[in-house]
Amino acid sequence: MKKIIFFLFIISVTNAQWRYETASIIDKGRKEVGLFSPFRVGLQNGMELSINKFILMPTVSIKQSRPSFNQWSMAQKFQLSYPSAGMKWLQSPLGQELGEPDMFALISPEFNIPQMISIYGELIATSGSNQKGRLTLNGGGGFSINGKNLSDDATIDLPIAYPRLSIYFNGLLFKLGGEYYKKINTTLFYVVDYDMFLMPNVRGRYAFEHKSALIWSKNQKFRLLLGYKLIAGEYPFGPQAHLLPVLDFQFGW
Amino acid sequence: MNYLLHLIRLFPITLILYSCEPIANHFNNVEDAIMYRASTIKDFPPKKTIKVMTWNIRFGVARSNFFGDGCGDRVIFTKKEVTAGLEGLANKINLEDPDILLLQEVDVQSKKTGYIDQAQWLLNNTNMNYGAYASMWEAQVILADGLGRVNTGNLILSKWELKDAERYQLELRGDQDALTKYFYLRRNVIKAKVNMSSAPFYAVNTHLTAFATDDTKLKHINGFKTILDGIVADGHNFIAGGDLNELPPNASKIDYCLEDQCENESYHSDKTPQHKEGAYFAPEITWLSDLYKTYKPAISLEEYGSQELKHFTHSPDDNLILDRKLDYLWTNTSWSSGTTHQEATKLSDHIPVSAFWVVK
Repeated sequence: MKKIIFFLFIISVTNAQWRYETASIIDKGRKEVGLFSPFRVGLQNGMELSINKFILMPTVSIKQSRPSFNQWSMAQKFQLSYPSAGMKWLQSPLGQELGEPDMFALISPEFNIPQMISIYGELIATSGSNQKGRLTLNGGGGFSINGKNLSDDATIDLPIAYPRLSIYFNGLLFKLGGEYYKKINTTLFYVVDYDMFLMPNVRGRYAFEHKSALIWSKNQKFRLLLGYKLIAGEYPFGPQAHLLPVLDFQFGW
Repeated sequence: MNYLLHLIRLFPITLILYSCEPIANHFNNVEDAIMYRASTIKDFPPKKTIKVMTWNIRFGVARSNFFGDGCGDRVIFTKKEVTAGLEGLANKINLEDPDILLLQEVDVQSKKTGYIDQAQWLLNNTNMNYGAYASMWEAQVILADGLGRVNTGNLILSKWELKDAERYQLELRGDQDALTKYFYLRRNVIKAKVNMSSAPFYAVNTHLTAFATDDTKLKHINGFKTILDGIVADGHNFIAGGDLNELPPNASKIDYCLEDQCENESYHSDKTPQHKEGAYFAPEITWLSDLYKTYKPAISLEEYGSQELKHFTHSPDDNLILDRKLDYLWTNTSWSSGTTHQEATKLSDHIPVSAFWVVK
């Protein structure tokens, strides 16, 4: 069971970034959740709340509509994350001691994980329609506040995880991205996106992520997402590229 | 715009082509070794007698309390710690000035040692010119103990150019479950031709299993010997060595379970296992006999038997009192002045063994 929780946790952390993101706000009262993606709910006054379901690495974000700019719908997003409990858990997911072996530990237990939070802000602009093709551009930056220094050697030098946790090691993160979404027929859509992470002052300075996925949307209550994600990034050991599968079952009501 | 879209489409295809590396590398039975050369090549004329040295350098962390080979609690070492360890090794290597150096436990891209390429570092900081490397553990991530990325293995360093370097895969441990085996060490033998112009010869290096509880170590010893036999059958000479993780057949002590047990362990009691992995040599004490009968060791059995204490090459963790011999040099011709360098005890958990080899 613990192993299943471990894999769900890892997939959740990675898939939290895989949902497609536009300047649109979901309708007030509507709720959406994916097997591997966060819970989202439409609030009053053109706002949307998103919560990561896994309590060990809680992330809460608020997306708010802004006035349109020419043909572009605009939104802003603010995100607050608390990774400390999750990172501590990753030092011993099965509760074993060092050398037992401490299976699935991604961070050595010799490191002290301090209390940390990160705050991230982003502007999102979307133009077009599902039928003709919808283009979204986004860009933002964030910073972290650490209770104590976190050792530079406590990084998880793997795709997805490294750029998203880098903010706790260097204090800063900048992100730029784009997404193209188009309807193929009444139930089938595709999405292609690119994201660039810029991480000043750490040993891996950038990550470039690309996703292509097909979305089968039976109705407003269920959709299935299947595709791949390519990541080319720099890590403390040097540059490397990875190809990963993308899968999610999403529900709305 | 169309050009940009074309580029956007091409980019993922290009990335796919080089992004499908396995999580843990599984090697072919025979592969080319990874070749290295020093940043500055020094000129060395051919010699009639060359000095050969073997050393398990414990990835440059000296006697630090690493968790993986003893009772330590350290996993990840800082670049500063590793660089200090490498400087100690380089000083000793430069002092001894071997012509051929057989190294084991050399990290070339491991999180635990700050991703320092130790093969290149040692080439750039010693008199050696050329290197041939064979990984025994290469994985993007080891899902245990926070080890992370690992690439560690055997390295041959030479003053003369190395040619035709090959990595030979040895048997995997037979006493592990499939998941552990997938991520575990892949022991090997590395062989390279030393292109000394007057008389080329072969250098062979290995590091055999330490903790197998079945007959894997015997298979490794036989695999090592088969490669040496092949060189001789082809009419060539060799110098060979490494950390064989085995005692000489005339060792007076064959059980180190109590010496090696950690605080939370208890052996030689009713509990199972009764013996600590890698510390109980009784069932395997004759496994090196065939090598001793066939080839010439740098330290003969007679010499070892008469001065055993002087020829111990290993003690675990930060225990500076050497208590067993695991490291060897072999040839099909003859050695002179075999030396066990016990003065280097603080530089690794193994110490170097060197000898002079008359080139034929």
